Amino acid sequence: MSARVGTPLWVLLPALALVPLALLLPGLSHGGGWSLVGRFALAALRPSLDPLVLGSALRGLGVTVGMALLGWALSLVLGLVLGALSSRLVWRQCSGRLWPAELIRRLLALPRSIHELLWGLILLQLVGLQPAVAVLAIAIPFGALVARVVSDQLDALPTSSLAALRTGGVAAPAALLTAMGPPLLPQVLSYGGYRLECALRSATLLGVFGLGGLGTELRLTLQSLLFSELWTGLWLLLAAMLLLERLVGWLRLRWTMPPRLSLSPQATEASGRDTASAVGRSGRELLLGAALLLPVLVAVAWSLEVDPRSLLRWQPLPPLPPADWGAVAALPWPTLVGNTLSLTLLAAALAVGVAPLLLLLVRPWPLGRAAVQGLWALGRLWPPPLIALLLLFVLHPGVVTGALALALHNLGVLGRLLLESAEHRGETTEQALLSAGSGPRLALLYGRFSALARPYLAYGAYRADVILRESVVVGLVGATGLGSQLLEALSSFAVDELAALMLVYAALTLLGEDLSDRLRRRLLAG
Amino acid sequence: MTTRERWAVALAGLLLIGLLPTACSPRTDGNAGADGATSEAARPNEKRVLRIGAIPDQNPEKLNRLYGLVADELSEQLEVPVRFVPVTDYTAAVSAFRTGDLDLVWFGGLTGVQAWLQKPGARALAQRDIDRSFHSVFIANPRSGLTPFEDQSGLQQLKGKRFTFGSESSTSGRLMPQYYLTQAGVALSDFAGGNPGFSGSHDALIALVQSGTYDAGVVNEEVWLSRLREGKVDTDQVVAIWRTPGYANYTWVVQPNLDEEYGRGFSERLERAFTSLSPDNPRQAQILELFGAETFVPASNEQYEAIEAVGRQIGKIR
Amino acid sequence: MDPAAVLELEGIHVRGRGQPRLEGVSLRLRAGERVALLGPSGAGKSTLLAVANGLITPDRGSLRWQGHELARGARARRRQQRRIGTLWQDLRLIEELSVQQNLNAGRLGQWGWPRALLNLLLPLESAACAAVLRRLDLDPALLDQPVAALSGGQRQRVALGRLLRQEPLLLLADEPLASLDPRLAAELLELLLEAGRPPRALLLSLHRPDLLAGFDRVVGLRAGRVQFDRPVAALDAGLLEALYAGAAP
Repeated sequence: MSARVGTPLWVLLPALALVPLALLLPGLSHGGGWSLVGRFALAALRPSLDPLVLGSALRGLGVTVGMALLGWALSLVLGLVLGALSSRLVWRQCSGRLWPAELIRRLLALPRSIHELLWGLILLQLVGLQPAVAVLAIAIPFGALVARVVSDQLDALPTSSLAALRTGGVAAPAALLTAMGPPLLPQVLSYGGYRLECALRSATLLGVFGLGGLGTELRLTLQSLLFSELWTGLWLLLAAMLLLERLVGWLRLRWTMPPRLSLSPQATEASGRDTASAVGRSGRELLLGAALLLPVLVAVAWSLEVDPRSLLRWQPLPPLPPADWGAVAALPWPTLVGNTLSLTLLAAALAVGVAPLLLLLVRPWPLGRAAVQGLWALGRLWPPPLIALLLLFVLHPGVVTGALALALHNLGVLGRLLLESAEHRGETTEQALLSAGSGPRLALLYGRFSALARPYLAYGAYRADVILRESVVVGLVGATGLGSQLLEALSSFAVDELAALMLVYAALTLLGEDLSDRLRRRLLAG
Repeated sequence: MTTRERWAVALAGLLLIGLLPTACSPRTDGNAGADGATSEAARPNEKRVLRIGAIPDQNPEKLNRLYGLVADELSEQLEVPVRFVPVTDYTAAVSAFRTGDLDLVWFGGLTGVQAWLQKPGARALAQRDIDRSFHSVFIANPRSGLTPFEDQSGLQQLKGKRFTFGSESSTSGRLMPQYYLTQAGVALSDFAGGNPGFSGSHDALIALVQSGTYDAGVVNEEVWLSRLREGKVDTDQVVAIWRTPGYANYTWVVQPNLDEEYGRGFSERLERAFTSLSPDNPRQAQILELFGAETFVPASNEQYEAIEAVGRQIGKIR
Repeated sequence: MDPAAVLELEGIHVRGRGQPRLEGVSLRLRAGERVALLGPSGAGKSTLLAVANGLITPDRGSLRWQGHELARGARARRRQQRRIGTLWQDLRLIEELSVQQNLNAGRLGQWGWPRALLNLLLPLESAACAAVLRRLDLDPALLDQPVAALSGGQRQRVALGRLLRQEPLLLLADEPLASLDPRLAAELLELLLEAGRPPRALLLSLHRPDLLAGFDRVVGLRAGRVQFDRPVAALDAGLLEALYAGAAP
């Protein structure tokens, strides 16, 4: 089977993107800004403890966490309902027709394909500057994503117990809830926990673009070079993020939910069945958790002054000049699309490839590993536009700078995932190689990466699709393709151009999603 | 049904029942007025909160202090509750003004024009003495060989140099400088590398030119002078090479409907509140100092016709 | 100290950290000796083997390898470990790689990065690998197969093949016969005893006292202590009974 040749090397293959990067960087860097970067790094040790700064950072953090929590909760509700509605199984059981499931599934692709930042800016135009805007901006695309996962899981679960109930004369909705609910629950909870981490990152990002919370402070302090004040916010955010990740991880372990990288379909199914009973044992705790969550959500919504009614009061649109479609058609579309794609591919290759490379490099030194973990946490923490702004101190604006910013951020996400899953796979094989005198790096490569290669790359394919969607947020650093054109159109209030750009973006994202799905299936099936 | 299944079903039901009300209103109408109604339609008759905002080109600490003081001062003079709403993004600030979520905003020239074009009837209310004839300053690192010049045509020297603007939507950091560059026959593609950089902010720009990252850049004169005063600029490493002609810049822009909301003559009272700020009153003196102004003077939309024309020319206004 | 000893353990203590403890175990293997390690489950057989191959550092006691203390530096210790090969109970093959790549994994200690990487692209040293397979009565045509596609008996032999490719002086085997049917077990034991000929030495842990015929010595381990250490011929039923007393043999 030649398909297996070099398996662990595949993991490192994307890191080859470092070669063109190394060739391009000298031409892009302008060196002089290193003193600024140095000042930035040094300020990490001396964050401002001025009560005024600390207070405003804490308030900002509160708003960000609150928005994340509300957006996340709403997205779960939306996702569960829409997920059931777009499940073939549910429609087959309830009405015998399948096409509504397909239709809803296709319709949901659109909200999913548009980044939460764009949802935020669109909603801002429609309903004004409301705290509810950020919440909804997170809930819409996240809800559509959860819906997809829920419906995929529902349709993949074994249906024998459902058939048993149905032949026993139980009505379809009750039978579905009884037979499919318990095996679905651990999957949904595990995925839900992961979404909460994503929601915190998204809420920070929305703040960077003026939708409230700590992101606002971070951007302002960075732009006025007040690095000590900047780090006050960053350290707080880091603490909140690590705390949340620990909590989610702890709950996942406690309720024995499947880990995130169980991407092979068989593995997911099996672990789902095993863990269903364990979750049943933790039912009481779950119920308690949910009961605790509710008042928390209400209190958060109250203190953030999130008023859902405000979402219903649409504002009149600005007086629009007649659309100039000729000018829209005259945009350099091939360049825009090309730049967007190269940015995505470069960022994805770097993020996917560098994570295992770093792990390999620091393998022999426990301290190095801790350093890499710290680097990844910071990467996850930083919204990509802020990384991009920081990179502008030493690099010229453009595709590579944007790609680097996205790559650093996603490296943080991927690296953590890789480390987590490397802890559970291939440990004994690595030991066997070590005890036979092979070097620690080679033992890691042969022993652990062999087993990890396929699921990791499959996840990487999914991540590439996320990066494509995210490429809009680094439009800030100029000349990065569709993203920067989109932000430019936004700040010029050119609605015609904006509409065309969003359409192209959505089409591209859906195409990317389809491609990454195919790649993922091939990787996991092989 | 096993115990486990019962738990799961109960949980699913509870989640659904429990989460739905969260999505609905957590607040009663009673306190909606107290902490600031969030939309025009929901305003009760009692005096509602006047919301002021600013586009961000100052550091956040100063922003918070400055606008806290302004809010207190206005609240006292006009006898209405006033609250400062921070907005980070130029685009977001303009949109929030259009949708009526901000009543009074301290806009830059370009964003001000965008704001009243989007909200017919809105107008420029008052501005600082220096805003009537505002200037940008082209600065350069001496090592680049660039030297100060008097005539606009001297901008030709910048061809082939590494050049950076400030933020993309900034009037003083991009729009007007770009206009003067074009007038002098310098296209954006004439810079080294085929395009200019964007440093993101005035402070970053000064630091980057000083360090030699860029040969030259252009900065808001007010920021430049205040950094010189604060001693934050190394004058051996960065010098001013040309000061642009004056143009109208920052201004308070006010919603058209405030007289209906707060009673006739409210806008005039608001204007007077600014124009009567005097250095003799300690708090007012502090406000003037933080704004970097001697006094505030009345402003009008007509002052900004040149900016609007430039905005249209380079596509930032449609 | 015995200069002829391949492995010399003296007063080894291991406090259990998730593994059975060892309490003052001493053991000596000379070149050419083939020693069976007997004892009930939990007696510490696997722990002892893990100490012998350097995976577990004992809390107390000394371990000499060819007359030298086990090195402290990572590099030097790896150089020593290259000559100690282990056949694991769960085999620990790399499922995603081919038979040949798995056999070559035994050479990783000797190889540098270039060869290790190349082996992942174009499996190296086909002739040597084929020779190992023939020696283990396996068809060399299996070289290209992924190990995941092999039968249980074939996998056992590939694992032994990896050990042979490593060319160790000391062969350790942890319950290699446990899950095999009697015929396969006998065949594998024969291969192991063959591999343990001088100048090599073999230490093999066993669950069943009925397969001792080919060994030179038997060591009985119980609750982390050596109960007896004597030639196979000098073993009697009473000793065995005492060793397994209270435990299912």
